Amino acid sequence: MVSLFVSADMSQAPPFLRLTSIEKSFLSDEDGTTPVIDNVSMEIDSGEFVIFLGPSGCGKTTLMRIVGGLETCDRGEVFLAGEKVAGPDRKKGMVFQAYTSFPWLTVFENVKFGTRYRDDIGEKEKEEIARHYLQLVGLQEFADFFVNRISGGMRQRVAIARTLAANPDVLLMDEPFGALDAQTREFLQGQLLEINRREKKTTIFVTHDVDEAIVLADRIVIFSARPATIIQSIYVSQFLSGDRTIATKETQPFFELRNKIRDLMREQAQVTRELAEKEMIEMNEGERA
Amino acid sequence: MLAACSFVGLIGFWFSASEFGLVSERFLPDPWTVLVALYNMIMERGFLEDIWISIARVWGAFLASAIMAIPLGIWMSSYRIIGMVTEPIVDFIRYLPVPALVPLLIIWFGIGESSKIAVLWMGTFFQLVLLISDDAKRVPSEFIETGLTVGAKPRQITWHIVFRSMLPNIVDNLRITLGWCWTYLIIAEIVASNAGIGHAIWSARRFVKTPEVMAGILTVGIIGLLTDQAIRFAHRRWFRYL
Repeated sequence: MVSLFVSADMSQAPPFLRLTSIEKSFLSDEDGTTPVIDNVSMEIDSGEFVIFLGPSGCGKTTLMRIVGGLETCDRGEVFLAGEKVAGPDRKKGMVFQAYTSFPWLTVFENVKFGTRYRDDIGEKEKEEIARHYLQLVGLQEFADFFVNRISGGMRQRVAIARTLAANPDVLLMDEPFGALDAQTREFLQGQLLEINRREKKTTIFVTHDVDEAIVLADRIVIFSARPATIIQSIYVSQFLSGDRTIATKETQPFFELRNKIRDLMREQAQVTRELAEKEMIEMNEGERA
Repeated sequence: MLAACSFVGLIGFWFSASEFGLVSERFLPDPWTVLVALYNMIMERGFLEDIWISIARVWGAFLASAIMAIPLGIWMSSYRIIGMVTEPIVDFIRYLPVPALVPLLIIWFGIGESSKIAVLWMGTFFQLVLLISDDAKRVPSEFIETGLTVGAKPRQITWHIVFRSMLPNIVDNLRITLGWCWTYLIIAEIVASNAGIGHAIWSARRFVKTPEVMAGILTVGIIGLLTDQAIRFAHRRWFRYL
């Protein structure tokens, strides 16, 4: 009886990250507002790797920024580990698409910057943590390089290591590999899988690349065209079994899942195009009037 | 190397122009005469003291305006309200020709050191504050957001990220502003002063001592050149990562 109670209680435990009916509009110049996110709710478990997949400009990045506290929403709330998100802080680490390693710091100093504002640990520990994450992304040989001497892929690895060094509760990644060439991108995807296996960080990763999504995700959340709503959530392990590597991209189940998602995405792209065309026509008419 | 050549070329041109009598002695004495005049000024009329006074005025005013302009410029760009309040004022004053303000500043501050400092400050502070604020706006927003998401406080972001990120540009802008300081200094010293390089030039003019006028001008040029090169050198050393 007691054990039953406990297990029932476990299943009722609040989810690690919870989004409740998020709504957001942007102010557009004349006639009021453009809705970008429409009533999105979801729950994310601790250690889960969730991909936000959707057409460009659909609002998925905005949604992730709301989770990070970098943007406010008009309605709804975000709870992280039971606490309401009210602004950016060290609990919500962010890796951007743009290169954000600081040019005035070396690779090592950049990684260590992630620990700079931690008061839970001492200076010696900060050095150790920085060295640990530098090694995790395989850049220990470049520790003393300034970042203008290293490639774009390496800079993103620095950014990932720096964010992890801050020990956030959730890792938010906004198309971090979007500006990289295909080979580098694939290499970093493999590396991120490895990092994820070791660190087990709760992660939200935004992309519009279907292959990337399938390789990396525990769960793929597919969004509609603007305003973003959830079309479907796909648990990748139901389609692909075993540990994933870059080689997974060459398997039959992968192709099937990819085609399924692509079809869904194609419909959405169509909607986006029509929406954009309509907007263009309206703007044109507005100018003529 | 090339820079040194062009400098030697300029002196050579000057030398030949005066040597071959292309221009009258009275308007353009040859370099040798000017050097002798400079030597005499230093030995007999305490010109070194004039130089020190001028340098002290320039650096005093320059540092005062830099220390005020850097934080204000950064705040203007990071807090919209400060920007909106200060920008029209800054723009208005920026367009006032500084020499026109000299009489007013003398009435306000007298003819002592404070009026000279005020002239230089007026001439540089308002320009500098805008340059700084523009630089601050160019700091990528992702740098700031990175700071926020590793737990930096606004104040820490201002100094550890925004200021640090723009520092090379700040040093460049300060170097340029320092040059303007000399222009305004000579104006201030000509109008109301009994010491300084500008004063020396102006007194020499009264007796049409062209070599001494030239010596004074040359001194300003050399000081400017040396400071500029020193700052450039420091810039290369400090910002190796660029």
